[in-house]
Amino acid sequence: MDFLAEGFRRALALLFSGDAEVYGIALLTLKIGIVATVLACGLGLPLGFALATRPFWGRRAALTVVNTALAFPTVVLGLLLYSLLSRRGPLGAVGWLYTWQAIALGDVLLALPIAAALAAAAVQGVDPRIRRTAETLGAGRWRTAWTVAREARFALAAVITTAFGHVVAEIGSAMTVGGNIRGQTRTLTTAVALYTSQGDFGLALALGLILLLLALLVNVALQTLQGRGHA
Amino acid sequence: MLELVGVRHEYDGRVVLDLERFAVAPGAAVAVVGPNGSGKSTLLRLLALLERPTAGRVLLDGTVVTPGGTARRHVTLVEQRPILFRATVRENLEFGLQVRGIRRAEVNRRIENVAGRLAITPLLGRRRHELSDGEVQRVAVARALAVEPDVLLLDEPASSADRAAALTLYRTLAEERARRPLAVCLASHQLEDAYRWADDVRALADGRLSPVTPENLFRVDLTTAESGDLKRACVGTVEIAAMTDKIGPAILAVPPTDIFVSREPLASSARNTFQGRVTSLARRGPGGGGGGGVHVTADVGVELIAVVTEEAVRDLALAPGSPVVFSFKASAVRVF
Repeated sequence: MDFLAEGFRRALALLFSGDAEVYGIALLTLKIGIVATVLACGLGLPLGFALATRPFWGRRAALTVVNTALAFPTVVLGLLLYSLLSRRGPLGAVGWLYTWQAIALGDVLLALPIAAALAAAAVQGVDPRIRRTAETLGAGRWRTAWTVAREARFALAAVITTAFGHVVAEIGSAMTVGGNIRGQTRTLTTAVALYTSQGDFGLALALGLILLLLALLVNVALQTLQGRGHA
Repeated sequence: MLELVGVRHEYDGRVVLDLERFAVAPGAAVAVVGPNGSGKSTLLRLLALLERPTAGRVLLDGTVVTPGGTARRHVTLVEQRPILFRATVRENLEFGLQVRGIRRAEVNRRIENVAGRLAITPLLGRRRHELSDGEVQRVAVARALAVEPDVLLLDEPASSADRAAALTLYRTLAEERARRPLAVCLASHQLEDAYRWADDVRALADGRLSPVTPENLFRVDLTTAESGDLKRACVGTVEIAAMTDKIGPAILAVPPTDIFVSREPLASSARNTFQGRVTSLARRGPGGGGGGGVHVTADVGVELIAVVTEEAVRDLALAPGSPVVFSFKASAVRVF
């Protein structure tokens, strides 16, 4: 128990002393999380909308692919991305291996199917009369799509927070393509894994608390949105 | 003129609408009556250009139109169970006007006007979950009227309204039609509403238009057990004899003007003679869509309507509750 209490004490000391390394790692995680979420949702939400509303050949197969991608192991994703970004890989010339961009790319690939699948479900949950009503009142294709999206806005906001939550909590791909390099690609999750294995329990716990805080904020935001959605 | 020509529509391979021609003339007041599942809502969705018919054409002023085009702005549908957007009533009324790029001052003028006429002004600041079903229906009608369409399609517009609200709705429609050339096509399963309001009442049964007036329509199954063309079909607790070579599911129509009304059974060639009691008498003028005369409704094991003259009512002393005999020939029964 002393070991645990000591860990907490050191964690709080690191947090409140403004330790540069701790906050550097937290800020990098936040940066990667925001970039990856924006890109994944920027692509995933329209894709999900199209999957839910546009009849096209292979739509059912596309939905199955997206839903299957939800369960894609992040370590395997990292492995595939590593093979692409490594010097001998087809994207080796880009020089992204062991950079924060590689971690963000992995996170985008991880969050994209989440955003698409959940957005499709959110849009499919909108009463079909909304679409017909917008159309019969004279709305064109884009205005109708916007109206349907507005009806699903709370669910779509929940999709964004869920994607962000997955991105900041991801470790497999970040470890493989980021390399966990101090001051460059060390994120909250990879740092927690490293410091725990090194026995620096206090530092690991401090970073874990920040990660928990982020997860808490995401969940509070999610619940607030869902609560407003029922109003 | 909004028309469906040679239209057939299917859902999952099942034909739900099959019409040679259905037209709504400019300024017309058309009512489509029929039981639930007869194809009324599908008909309105096709007219509203919300769905593309499986076969056939939709024409607006003689030009073929399709869903997705600008023609949709001439036609507006209010569904049987309308839905409001997740916004205030005022924002709902603004929607169709904003889509058309109408200026703010004109938007406000139209909203105040239509809200006043449908008595929804106190509701303008409310949201959809703060409204009753009847209020939602009135707001939906107001939202449709605000965009001033050439053709307004209403699916059971009074289904959630109380009597006063229904009267307000019909009065507003009449005022709107008096003000500008608005065609209204209304679907209802209530004949009384249709006759009270429309100039032209058409009956729909199993996706097809009835060749006769909309009263006395029955969905039956003509079995192959009968020999010859004289067939009998169970309707309610009675059997109606009809001359037809048709077999299987069919619609029987008994034209009200082909029913003889008497106090006692008549010795005649009529294969259908049913005794019962008068349940109601309704007098309809020539302009009321019912073709004039007195509509005598009687329960003879099934509810049948006959049309007779005012003199006949007087001579037979017909009144609600009085005994009556309805007779008609098997050849008078239309089968389709």
